[in-house]
Amino acid sequence: MEKTALLMHYLLVGTCLFGLGTVGFLSRRNLIVMFLSVELMLQGVLVNFAGWDRYHGQSAGQVFILFVVAVAGAEAAIALALIINLVRGRQGLDVLRLQHVREDIISPPLSIEDEIGEVEPPSWPKLPRVGRPPSIPQEVLEYRPDV
Amino acid sequence: MAFLIILIAAMPLGAAILTAVLGPRHLREYSHVPAVTAVAISFVASVALLFLVVRTLESSSSHGQQPVLEHVVQLWTWAEISPSGGSPRVPVAHGTVDFLRFQIPVVLRVDPLTVIMLVTVTAVSLLVIIYSIGYMHEDPGYWRFFAYVSLFVFSMVMLVSVSNFLLLYVFWEAVGLCSYLLIGFWYRKPAAAAAGKKAFLVNRVGDFGFALGIFLIWSVYGTLNFHDTVDPQTGEVYSAGVLGMARLVHPQEGLLHGGLATAICLLLFAGACGKSAQFPLHVWLPDAMEGPTPVSALIHAATMVTAGVYMIARCMPLFEAAPYALTIVGAIAVITATMAAIIALTQTDLKRILAYSTISQLGYMFLGLSVGGLVGVAAAMFHLVTHAFFKALLFLGAGSVMHATGGVIDLNEIGGLRRRLPWTHTTFLLGSLALAGLWPFAGFFSKDEILHLVYEKGRASSLYFVLFAAAAATAALTAIYTFRAYFRTFFGEERLPSEGATHAHESPPVMLVPLVILAIASAFAGIALGPAKVVEHFLAATPSLAAFANLSGEAQVSHGFHFVPWLSTALTVCGIAWAALLVLGPLAVVRPVISVMKAVALYSLSFHKFFVDEIYSWIIVRPLTWIASLAGWIDRYFIDLLVDAIGFLPKLVGSLLRSSHNGWIPWYGLGFVLGILVLLAAMFF
Repeated sequence: MEKTALLMHYLLVGTCLFGLGTVGFLSRRNLIVMFLSVELMLQGVLVNFAGWDRYHGQSAGQVFILFVVAVAGAEAAIALALIINLVRGRQGLDVLRLQHVREDIISPPLSIEDEIGEVEPPSWPKLPRVGRPPSIPQEVLEYRPDV
Repeated sequence: MAFLIILIAAMPLGAAILTAVLGPRHLREYSHVPAVTAVAISFVASVALLFLVVRTLESSSSHGQQPVLEHVVQLWTWAEISPSGGSPRVPVAHGTVDFLRFQIPVVLRVDPLTVIMLVTVTAVSLLVIIYSIGYMHEDPGYWRFFAYVSLFVFSMVMLVSVSNFLLLYVFWEAVGLCSYLLIGFWYRKPAAAAAGKKAFLVNRVGDFGFALGIFLIWSVYGTLNFHDTVDPQTGEVYSAGVLGMARLVHPQEGLLHGGLATAICLLLFAGACGKSAQFPLHVWLPDAMEGPTPVSALIHAATMVTAGVYMIARCMPLFEAAPYALTIVGAIAVITATMAAIIALTQTDLKRILAYSTISQLGYMFLGLSVGGLVGVAAAMFHLVTHAFFKALLFLGAGSVMHATGGVIDLNEIGGLRRRLPWTHTTFLLGSLALAGLWPFAGFFSKDEILHLVYEKGRASSLYFVLFAAAAATAALTAIYTFRAYFRTFFGEERLPSEGATHAHESPPVMLVPLVILAIASAFAGIALGPAKVVEHFLAATPSLAAFANLSGEAQVSHGFHFVPWLSTALTVCGIAWAALLVLGPLAVVRPVISVMKAVALYSLSFHKFFVDEIYSWIIVRPLTWIASLAGWIDRYFIDLLVDAIGFLPKLVGSLLRSSHNGWIPWYGLGFVLGILVLLAAMFF
């Protein structure tokens, strides 16, 4: 009976963490916070693992937790790299700046222009012109993939 | 004989293949060499075969009874389907029949009927091919022409020498194919392409009947062979051919009589109608004149169109067993002959006049056949041979005129050419006299033979007397239209179309020599063969006709005063005089006559070719066009609609789901979470 009560506590904490993470993932627009929320969901699951591990008296769950923590660390490193790139390209962490992957004819319910007005396009470095312009073959110029 | 008959057929085939393979690259302007050589060899072989057959007959006729000559050469078996465990032979009333064994042996035969056809076909082909060297000179399709013509000669030779209905049908279609190819030889010309198509389609109608007739023959007789198949060991006849001696010695038991026999004969005659341009399937032949003139001479006057006459002559025992069918053949023949002659009276295209004349003369041949028996076949075959010569001559003469006038053949634009084209004029005159049937030219003997037979038969049957009267009237019409064309082309003031005014000259010798040879043949073939009844005596040795030779012996015409030749000569002379009066007479006399004639409804009927093409257009072509456009409408607006609707379905579903793809990341996340909830719900409940 006591084991079951202990498991219930574990599960309760895990569920709370997972729920908080879900709500955070759905409600926040900041990419880093969204990533933290996903991590929170992950931790909820791990607490779950720990609880069941205790319940069954085995150590396999803890081994899994170690693996998952390691993978989560790697994930965090990749996510950080992605986020840094996005901040450079899009000048912000708001997911509203990342709405270009969609059907052209569908407009999203919210857009960054609605909130802060016109976004200035990123400025690319300008290189001095060197040599002759490359000659482009006629068939490349006339290539029309949509026709 | 086996060697000769194979040689005759093989040479043109070899020439056709050689010209087709080497023509465009290597032979070019020498493309005629294989064709001329091969057909010349075939002709020599045919003549040799003729002499061989005559000698064999002479040596065997000394025994006193009717000699019969049939030499069968089996090359290979084309198709054989025999049931397992041997083929049981079913004895039936008409001889032993292997119903269970289907066998098509490729067999060539030599008998007098075949030999006559072979000599005629190869002789005319040789002359026409030599003529074509000059006529087709510098045509871009020179090699193509000679390849087609060689193929045609091969097909025609095979058609007259095979000994099986199925093979007859195969080569019947092969000559039809060559005809189609050569009518549409100048295929860039829309009229020529359409004429080729028309010839092919109209022939399909007749050939359908022919095919049905062959099916019926198979189901009644159980074989399609003409000849009896003899067991080589025992010498016993184990499969009696449809036209073999085993059946014909007892025609009453051996051959089918009654309604089914009449049906077979009428279906065969339908095929003959298509190929030989008899009413109501004659419409393709005048249009076929779009082809090169040598083709008109060879295929559409001398040889291919007589295939129907040959076929009915070959099947004469079947027709003799079905007298109603013979009567119908006679009626159709006279309708065709008279109608075509009337149409020819008012046409202005020289080649078209000759085409209608061909239809009319073919009608005479069928009329001769309708008399039946050996005499009928002999008269028809005699007319076939003489007609082949003089009609080929007339067509080649017309070609020579076209050569001079730059292709213009309209009688309204040419005239008075006799000084510019002296050789053409003389030979054309001889051909015209032969066609009109004036003594002593070829047409006189052969046409009179037919008229005479019909008259003799008309003494007993009133129907045949009507046929005789119409045929005799047609003889007068023949003289009128022939000499109208002749006078308008060669007499009167000299008129030349602008196309040919500068180079209107006589044709080269390579074209004139065939003309002269054909003119000699037209002049003397009749008197050489006619009075002595050479053709009849020769044909009597054909197995399928030998049975009638003894029967017709006592039915020979009584000697004494012959009324028919005088009548036909008088009619012909009147016809020629009338044509001369109309074309050359003083205008003061001619004008009122012409205006009276134009007022008669028959003139309009004749000028518009009895509206046959229009009638076909209204009852066949237009309803078909309507049905086709209706079917097209249904296809476009009903069937296509269904297909498009099915194709529209995925698009519709896609457009419904497309709005969910809006690029808003929390929205995707929400979908993800909701999806998991739905899955969980599905798991637990």
